[in-house]
Amino acid sequence: MCCSHGVIPRSDPRFSLLPAITAARASTHDPFLRLYVSTRTRTRTGFGSLRARAAVNDGSVAAAPKAVSFYDLLGISETGTLVEIKQAYKQLARKYHPDVSPPGRVDEYTQRFIRVQEAYETLSDPRRREMYDRDMVRGLHLAISARRRFQSDEQMEERSEWKSRWQGQLTELKRRSMNKDDRGNMSWGARMRRQRNGASDEV
Amino acid sequence: MAVTGGSVIRLNPSISPYPTAPRQSICCRKQFYVRASVGGNSDGEKGGKMMIRREKQGWKIDFSGEKPPTPLLDTINFPVHMKNLSAQDLEQLAAELRADIVYTVSKIGGHLSASLGVVDLAVALHHVFNTPEDKIIWDVGHQAYPHKILTGRRSKMHTIRKTSGLAGFPKRDESIYDAFGAGHSSTSISAGLGMAVARDLLGKSNNVISVIGDGAMTAGQAYEAMNNAGFLDSNLIVVLNDNKQVSLPTATLDGPATPVGALSSALAKIQASPKFRKLREAAKGITKQIGPPAHEVAAKVDEYARGMISASGSTLFEELGLYYIGPVDGHNIEDLVTIFQKVKAMPALGPVLIHIVTEKGKGYPPAEAAADKMHGVVKFDPKTGQQFKTKSPTLSYTQYFAESLIKEAEVDNKIVAIHAAMGGGTGLNYFQKRFPDRCFDVGIAEQHAVTFAAGLATEGLKPFCAIYSSFLQRGYDQVVHDVDLQKLPVRFAMDRAGLVGADGPTHCGAFDVTYMACLPNMVVMAPSDEADLMHMVATAAAIDDRPSCFRFPRGNGIGAVLPPNNKGIPIEIGKGRILTEGNRVAILGYGSIVQQCMDAMGMLKSLNIAVTVADARFCKPLDADLITRLANEHEILMTVEEGSIGGFGSHVSHFLSLKGILDGPLKLRSMFLPDRYIDHGSPQDQLDEAGLSARHICATVLSLLKRPKEVLNFN
Repeated sequence: MCCSHGVIPRSDPRFSLLPAITAARASTHDPFLRLYVSTRTRTRTGFGSLRARAAVNDGSVAAAPKAVSFYDLLGISETGTLVEIKQAYKQLARKYHPDVSPPGRVDEYTQRFIRVQEAYETLSDPRRREMYDRDMVRGLHLAISARRRFQSDEQMEERSEWKSRWQGQLTELKRRSMNKDDRGNMSWGARMRRQRNGASDEV
Repeated sequence: MAVTGGSVIRLNPSISPYPTAPRQSICCRKQFYVRASVGGNSDGEKGGKMMIRREKQGWKIDFSGEKPPTPLLDTINFPVHMKNLSAQDLEQLAAELRADIVYTVSKIGGHLSASLGVVDLAVALHHVFNTPEDKIIWDVGHQAYPHKILTGRRSKMHTIRKTSGLAGFPKRDESIYDAFGAGHSSTSISAGLGMAVARDLLGKSNNVISVIGDGAMTAGQAYEAMNNAGFLDSNLIVVLNDNKQVSLPTATLDGPATPVGALSSALAKIQASPKFRKLREAAKGITKQIGPPAHEVAAKVDEYARGMISASGSTLFEELGLYYIGPVDGHNIEDLVTIFQKVKAMPALGPVLIHIVTEKGKGYPPAEAAADKMHGVVKFDPKTGQQFKTKSPTLSYTQYFAESLIKEAEVDNKIVAIHAAMGGGTGLNYFQKRFPDRCFDVGIAEQHAVTFAAGLATEGLKPFCAIYSSFLQRGYDQVVHDVDLQKLPVRFAMDRAGLVGADGPTHCGAFDVTYMACLPNMVVMAPSDEADLMHMVATAAAIDDRPSCFRFPRGNGIGAVLPPNNKGIPIEIGKGRILTEGNRVAILGYGSIVQQCMDAMGMLKSLNIAVTVADARFCKPLDADLITRLANEHEILMTVEEGSIGGFGSHVSHFLSLKGILDGPLKLRSMFLPDRYIDHGSPQDQLDEAGLSARHICATVLSLLKRPKEVLNFN
């Protein structure tokens, strides 16, 4: 039984701003999911304000109470191919086009149509899709237009990640290079270095 | 840091009296700038002075049309002057370098954005390493402008790519700081390894640094070199400059080109792998659950996990034996300097690959925004990036080729086109727009392109390989062994044949007649104008039982009458044509040089000499009837081609000797490119240097007619 002290119950007010997890998901006692959820709360403070900012600026953030991912919107899996995306889009576009929508539900259908359109545009372009997938990890479902605003912040975070990574690599390289030219290493370069260092020692 | 007299450093400009103040952004509270005054007080001066300012997010350069004041760069004549600069000075130097490069290239044209992308790298390299003892090898070399500026050639930068000026690529003859000549790609690691091994054998201890781009990484030679480097384990630093621009120009007609090949996506994955990040986020979550004291342990776990699930690309280099460091922000000079210093200080380094991420055209907003990133430009306006393209009455040969290929492909759906990362240069971007599924960009891999085309041909398709004449040299064995030996109908469209102008000898297509016409099964042809080019495209499409090739030069058409609807008609193979009739002297030209022959004919007409000018069209098979007729009916026969020895002229002379015609009274002379490399310059200057201009042809005719001095009538 996994420890429960680190897990925040779903009813916690901190969750109110998060996109809703569907009932099916929340009911599983999957520890990974709980961690996933708690990770998201931790990142929320970093990005929630950005979402709010984006929402205020653009309004193109997916509606907060029912933020479905673009994949769910089109009804395909996250690993859907371009063909599948196209098919799904064509189907839904035909269904929700304002001209063929039943009278009285024109607005709702138009909204959906626009969202489907957005989803298709994002997912059909491989670069945008990649960026969208990355955002999804963090629990954000943003159209590409809202994204640009905090792209520089994201870049900053990425850069600092890179920095810690290469600093680690440098220390590792230093450690390796201390032992590189031991007797055991018979590579051509090691032999030449030993020769050269041996020669300079003798002088 | 030496600051030239007259420069002023000020803090907090809210009370600044300078009239140019309004341009400063209000949000930056702390802002200091270096304002350089050229001689005396220029307080009252407005507009004109380019300001290089340091703001919170970085350096801001105002690009006006004037020569930028570069106080710090003015003190740097050689890399040794950079040794004592602080990190901030280096950043200022980079900003000034950018301003200088934009200003210089805007006046004369050249390669812009590649140089801008590596300014920070060049500054960091020259600051940390001691050139010329330490060797820096730039792959391809068109990005070496900052390197040239920093190594004593700043005063000559305005002559770059011009006759008798600086070369557009590194050149050993030009400076000791240019360690290796470049022009074709992917040679830097091989050369660097050679220099490293030589250093080891001679007992020296300098550093060797090879700078290679992600585009050049798609070529096999880079892997051959890395494989060998990993095996030899000699100290070598490879800097992989990754700006996600694999093909040239880095755009299709519709926008930025998506990187070609599996490799680019592997590199992109290193930078951001979503699944990997998901896993890492989860792992981080787990470790934070465990609690703070165990966090160090968790960090260790994370490190090892990273090694196991690490981004897929880095293991490729590790497996080849190079230690991978990165990705690193290629525009952060401080980071770059730190890494280089640490790497330099290590005793037993072995081969190391430092993966830096840069943006092509960084620091100049119009280049960053352009779809092709302003890779190669003509003169432009620095403020807007608008290029001053001269209007020409005719299109370039490349465009005529692309147009006629599209027309052929419209009636025959077996026609496919292949190029090696040169969609814009070969004109196949147009083909790609029209037939996206029938155009293949294989990356910088000419050898693969040729054999790939051969494979397509075995299944009955009609592949057109559009590769520059000098780049096809790289795939020559494949042409011989895979295409010609098996007699597969692959068509080679060799653009940039002959002299190419500003790019110089590295890009000069001097040898293609020689190396193609000596192959037993190859049909070799060359059009003399754009209409003939279209007909030859159709002819090549029709030749289905053997390989064929045709060559055409850089430059614009002459205004010939095009066939209706741009659709060529196949011409009879092995048949040339006579353009003008004359007596005593026959000039047989091959390729676009026929135009120079026609000019010469006009000049000789003014001296009352009527010469026959013929266009051979085919080097293989030769038009035997035409040549025999010309030989029998004239005293003097001259062949002219824009190719090296062993080409068209050789074939004609062998033919005539075999037929016994050389035993007779005929005087045979061949004009071809001289036995030396022609330096870069304007096309007319190069033709003059090579001795193939209309005037030279006249001179040869006149000297054969025993009237040599009359050539002085022409200037």
